[in-house]
Amino acid sequence: MLQSKSFVKKTKQGRVVKVVREHYLRDDIYCGAPLCKVCDVAASRLSSTASTILVVDTNVVLHQIDLLENPAIDDVVVLSVVLEEVKNKNLGVYNRLRALCSNSQRRFFVFSNEYHKDTYVKIETGESPNDRNDRAIRVAAQWYQNHLGSAVRVLLITNDRDNKKKAVTDGILAETVESYVKSLGQPALLDLIVQPPSDDVTMEDAEDLRPSKRKTIYPEHKPMSEITSGLHRGIYHQGKLRVNRYNPFEAYVGSESIGDEIIVYGRTNMNRAFDGDIVAVELLPQDRWQEEKSLAIANDEDEEEDDVHLAPSSADDAPRVPSSAGDKNAMPTRPSGRVIGIIKRNWHSYCGSLDPMPMPAGEGGIAHALFVSKDRRIPKIRMQTRQLGNLLDKRIIVAVDSWDRLSRHPSGHYVRTIGEIGDRDTESEVVLIENDIDARPFSSQVLACLPPLPWSVSAEDISNPIRQDLRHLRVFSVDPPGCKDIDDALHCMLLPSGHFEVGVHIADVTNFVHPGTPLDDEAATRGTSVYLVERRIDMLPKPLTEDVCSLRSDVERLTFSVIWEMTPEAEIISTRYTKAIIKSCAALSYVEAQARMDDSRLMDPLTTDLRNMNVLAKIMRQKRIERGALTLASAEVKFQIDTETHDPLDIGMYQIREANQMIEEFMLAANISVAKKILEHFPPTSLLRRHPSPTKEMLEPLIQTAAAVGLCLDVTSSKALADSLDRAVGEDPYFNKLIRILATRCMTQAVYFCSGDLSPPEFCHYGLAAPVYTHFTSPIRRYADVIVHRLLAASLGICRLPDIFQERPRLTSIADNLNYRHKNAQMASRASVELHTLIYFRNRPTDTEARILKIRSNGFIVFVPKYGIEGPVHLMARGQKEGGKWIVDEQQQKIKKIDGQDSYGVLQTVRIHMEVVEPQPNRPKLQLTLI
Amino acid sequence: MEYVNPEGLRLDGRRPMEMRQLRAEIGVISKADGSAVFEMGNTKVIAAVYGPREVQNRSQQLNDQALVRCEYSMANFSTGDRMRKPKGDRRSTEISLVIRQTMEACILTHLMPRSQIDIFVQVLQADGGTRSACINAATLALADAGIPMRDLVTSCSSGFLNGTPLLDLNYLEDSAGGADVTVGILPKLDKVTLLQMDAKLQMDTFENVMQLAIEGCKAVASYIREILLENTKQLESRRGI
Amino acid sequence: MVGLSLGEQNFIKGGIAQDLRTDGRKRLTYRPIFVETGIIPQASGSARVKLGGTDVIASVKAELGRPNPSHPDKGKVSIYVDCSPTAEPTFEGRGGEELSTELSSALQRCLLGGKSGSGAGIDLSSLSIVQGKVCWDLYIDGLVVSSDGNLLDALGAAIKAALSNTAIPKVQVAANASADQQPEVDVSDEEFLQFDTTAVPVIVTLTKVGRHYIVDATTEEESQMSSAISVSINRQGGICGLTKRGGAGLDPSIILDMISVSKHVSEQLMNKLDSEIAAAEACDEDDEMDS
Repeated sequence: MLQSKSFVKKTKQGRVVKVVREHYLRDDIYCGAPLCKVCDVAASRLSSTASTILVVDTNVVLHQIDLLENPAIDDVVVLSVVLEEVKNKNLGVYNRLRALCSNSQRRFFVFSNEYHKDTYVKIETGESPNDRNDRAIRVAAQWYQNHLGSAVRVLLITNDRDNKKKAVTDGILAETVESYVKSLGQPALLDLIVQPPSDDVTMEDAEDLRPSKRKTIYPEHKPMSEITSGLHRGIYHQGKLRVNRYNPFEAYVGSESIGDEIIVYGRTNMNRAFDGDIVAVELLPQDRWQEEKSLAIANDEDEEEDDVHLAPSSADDAPRVPSSAGDKNAMPTRPSGRVIGIIKRNWHSYCGSLDPMPMPAGEGGIAHALFVSKDRRIPKIRMQTRQLGNLLDKRIIVAVDSWDRLSRHPSGHYVRTIGEIGDRDTESEVVLIENDIDARPFSSQVLACLPPLPWSVSAEDISNPIRQDLRHLRVFSVDPPGCKDIDDALHCMLLPSGHFEVGVHIADVTNFVHPGTPLDDEAATRGTSVYLVERRIDMLPKPLTEDVCSLRSDVERLTFSVIWEMTPEAEIISTRYTKAIIKSCAALSYVEAQARMDDSRLMDPLTTDLRNMNVLAKIMRQKRIERGALTLASAEVKFQIDTETHDPLDIGMYQIREANQMIEEFMLAANISVAKKILEHFPPTSLLRRHPSPTKEMLEPLIQTAAAVGLCLDVTSSKALADSLDRAVGEDPYFNKLIRILATRCMTQAVYFCSGDLSPPEFCHYGLAAPVYTHFTSPIRRYADVIVHRLLAASLGICRLPDIFQERPRLTSIADNLNYRHKNAQMASRASVELHTLIYFRNRPTDTEARILKIRSNGFIVFVPKYGIEGPVHLMARGQKEGGKWIVDEQQQKIKKIDGQDSYGVLQTVRIHMEVVEPQPNRPKLQLTLI
Repeated sequence: MEYVNPEGLRLDGRRPMEMRQLRAEIGVISKADGSAVFEMGNTKVIAAVYGPREVQNRSQQLNDQALVRCEYSMANFSTGDRMRKPKGDRRSTEISLVIRQTMEACILTHLMPRSQIDIFVQVLQADGGTRSACINAATLALADAGIPMRDLVTSCSSGFLNGTPLLDLNYLEDSAGGADVTVGILPKLDKVTLLQMDAKLQMDTFENVMQLAIEGCKAVASYIREILLENTKQLESRRGI
Repeated sequence: MVGLSLGEQNFIKGGIAQDLRTDGRKRLTYRPIFVETGIIPQASGSARVKLGGTDVIASVKAELGRPNPSHPDKGKVSIYVDCSPTAEPTFEGRGGEELSTELSSALQRCLLGGKSGSGAGIDLSSLSIVQGKVCWDLYIDGLVVSSDGNLLDALGAAIKAALSNTAIPKVQVAANASADQQPEVDVSDEEFLQFDTTAVPVIVTLTKVGRHYIVDATTEEESQMSSAISVSINRQGGICGLTKRGGAGLDPSIILDMISVSKHVSEQLMNKLDSEIAAAEACDEDDEMDS
């Protein structure tokens, strides 16, 4: 073991510090080839039959990772110098490369050349680090060739002309990516190759062949040094660009330096930035703020149109409405700016399809096409393909490579095909990919963590002193029909004192999921189960969710229970928490539970319990409302799915019964009790859930809509809002619910957080009017609950607090991941419902009632309560703004026919016709027309 | 931050159970009664022993045993960030105390009543594990001074990062925020005389981490024995024995 | 303090008078000098000098700083010396402070010239980066590890060796900074500036024992001195600084005589030191090659 010292100079906070690190060189780093006679072959990864071993350089990895991920490329040696460079330049690509290296199906071997005594190279005087690294790659390639001998061809893959030349001089075989892929004889693989940007200008352009194509479309990005000094001096602002999901021509940059969001209107101002990029923004002069905005709106309407979509259930998935849209003269409050440079790209690959285009004349040649992402925030992407005919009706994945100033669209390359457009399986997969949901089966390591099956409560469990035997209690569960993952059950017992003992029993998932196991890691990553219309993607393996943890009837199960003593007035006298064993006597559906309560002839003990609980729940609910909790509503729909074909048979609003509300009430109470308990024990490291109060601005659309129908809402506090919502009663029974739906969609979603990151007043849950709240009741399908179970157990002294709670940043990152996963799960569910709505209406043109939500210049937006969707109804053709048969008054939100016969206003009921049309082949969409 | 990469190598190329390169030299300060330099990688300390000699401050004299004193100091240039270090700050006082107690425990002080032994350790370069290096250097210097000892004392540190126990943390790993366990042992008697840890560790991981540090101490001990043997041979040949 | 008997004292004095010192040297002979450079890799430059039983380390650390408003076109250099208790148990705690301060100020006087920096062994204007805004600050730290007399000469030699070992990174200044702002400085980690140390003087201390003076006195000899003069002399033979230590008064003519002797000695020392430094540097580089 030799020792070497590497000298590095570093600056931090302007100080010059010489950093000296030791660098040990080793002789026990092996080559990874199984046939090697010198090295230890136990850890070999390369195939024994390989005739060619590839050594790739950094730029090949950075740019051609899609190609590397294709199974056609294998037997690759990844040098540690390459890994290190990739890590510094692009963490996303690094993670993908790491995944390839650890994938047992692939033959990618990491060779730690930087620590090998024969392949370590020292930087020479006058040599740049880049040149040194290139030399290190060549030295390693040469070492491999010498080491493995002539039986194997070691091929250096590099697109760097200079590097290749030097390699050839050194006697190393070297080829460019393109020539190597060509030699493989699989033409489709060539689509995966990223074209170097220099070729861009000479490339024939698919979208426009006009002479003006060379004209500069976007302003130049400022050099990094200028950006840094600009940020320093406060003329530029740094932040993550977020594109409006419903209007891709509008983006926001949250800037810490000015403490506000900067709005960026239009593609020119966005200057080639993508959603999620870290950008540097320059503010525009204040007098141009308004101008830019109207520009963007105009731009918006001639390019794209809203589609029919699912009615949003919170502000997170509702389109942002420009506040005071009608008032053109008012000074806008938000600063507007333009992007002057991109600090960090967030490019990855996107799901979508090609813009329909005619087949080019020459069959089989290279065609240029435009790719349209499913995600509307992403601009169209130029790409070239050799398989156009094959791809036109497919959902494909495309990755972005570059975007130069001369091109309206970014350029990218084909990655892979998912399936045919419109096919349910394809589209479902698209939904999963789009939302970053891992639907792969659980790995064998994860499954190995499961308890041996069939599982039953053991004598050990019963004798365990921490576990209370509650099998004698009359415990039951109430869930949606067909529910298999039952994670909560209840009991209610009249005590001799006249008080009630009410228990909420939650599946004891943490008894089976232990911290630090592969099972726990997997669940933490998945974060939540995802419910799609036709399938459920579990957070935990099925044996746990549907059997071992599920509190099914007539079997003994382990639980974590919260047990209260309550007065008949639903005052909580005492609360206790315990691990327990229960035996549920009935697994009811909401409908069954409701029917039992309603059937006055039934007097059995279970029904009595239900009724008692219902009485308590009603009081608790009333109290909660008095505290200012909001009764919100959403337009959830329910599909009936054909068990054979998985096609939707029927669709309708999800009905909320008293029984649902009763269960919900006790779950809320349990969550609140647990939240208080864990916060008391672990003030800095509890996982809680907060619902931020909506800002005035967020509630603006609600106030406007209400004002248009002459309703005045008080939004000063959640209590005031709750009261004014109660008062908002119209002529028809649905009116109040509609207002509530509109109110709900103005609010943001509640989020998880680590209690140490915020101050107690910020813990508040606005919607529930609770000072602290958490999730405890669904550990089978939410990882947050698993964490909370561990916290609660630790607070009771049952078990030790796992490591992660000792480091707040880790808990914070877990909370962030959970929020991300929850949001994605929700978006996926919504996308799945949208998909099935479209499939459902494909053969069923329908007439139905709808409510007008908003009047627009060319028609109005309606909400269809029965199907929970909303979308535009056009009264005039596109582009035609004036002179039709209709007079639009956007200010007053009224629309009326010229002859004065019909007039429509906000929230008014209209009858519409719904039909699936295909304006372009393979691009079906739902169209709404006024009858 | 990844302190152990998937190939099982640490940032400086060591494997988790490997120590940095050790180097020691005896008798570097001719005027002292005993002295030694001890290096663990880039950590380099020099120790000098004066004594046993007359107690300088009579009021401190002990009639049944020797007085052992120790001072630890760091050179201004010993860390990457240069700063003037006031003598006798909290940290050096604490380390002085730790070294003194550790060494006192193995010196046969009762054989030298009414005398004084001074141990001075000077850190020339700090790159993690200074405490251990100081103790190792002091052991060598005491041996060089011919002071009777029960056993050698050797020390080594270990830590726990990325879910892996790591032996002999360097500065980069030490400042990663994980636990740092410093252990000192009497290798022949197989007893732990020094145990310090900052940060938290689970009981079962702690056991592994401590065991690893003990293994490290044993490796240091065998190295130190080698050095002492070498030194003795040289003395022999110099004296023509 | 060295406790010497009267006999011993006489033996030392007598030896010096007869030009045969206790260790066999002549009055104007140095002990063997041993130089090692680059021993503190974390520093910009470093060296260790052994002169018999005296062992000192010097390190140079370069940091970015702001120039003194009265000398906007010059960098700053400061010298601190620490005496480690390893060298002498009496240096324990604050015991070494007095000597440290004495050595520091003597070195500053001998190497750094006047307040304006004129006459300094190090060209301070070469440390300037942006006039009036950014400059290099050199911190020179000396550490006495082991002491057997003549610390000042040893430290002077160690500093000279450390300076010739020093590599300061090249800097690039962002061009666009306006006049009133602190400019952004980019530090290169590939290119380094080497110091020209030919102008750095050496220090020769003549210790007067009885009627004679000797160079490179050991601690025992120093205990017998009446006074001493340290002269720093550059390659051209120019005197850069001068310090007189010790209580006894000296006749001006003797001082002049001592200076001319030290000038003569300095040439030998300078040559010896330069060749030692060159050898050490070569050795240092070899080390790097090996590893």
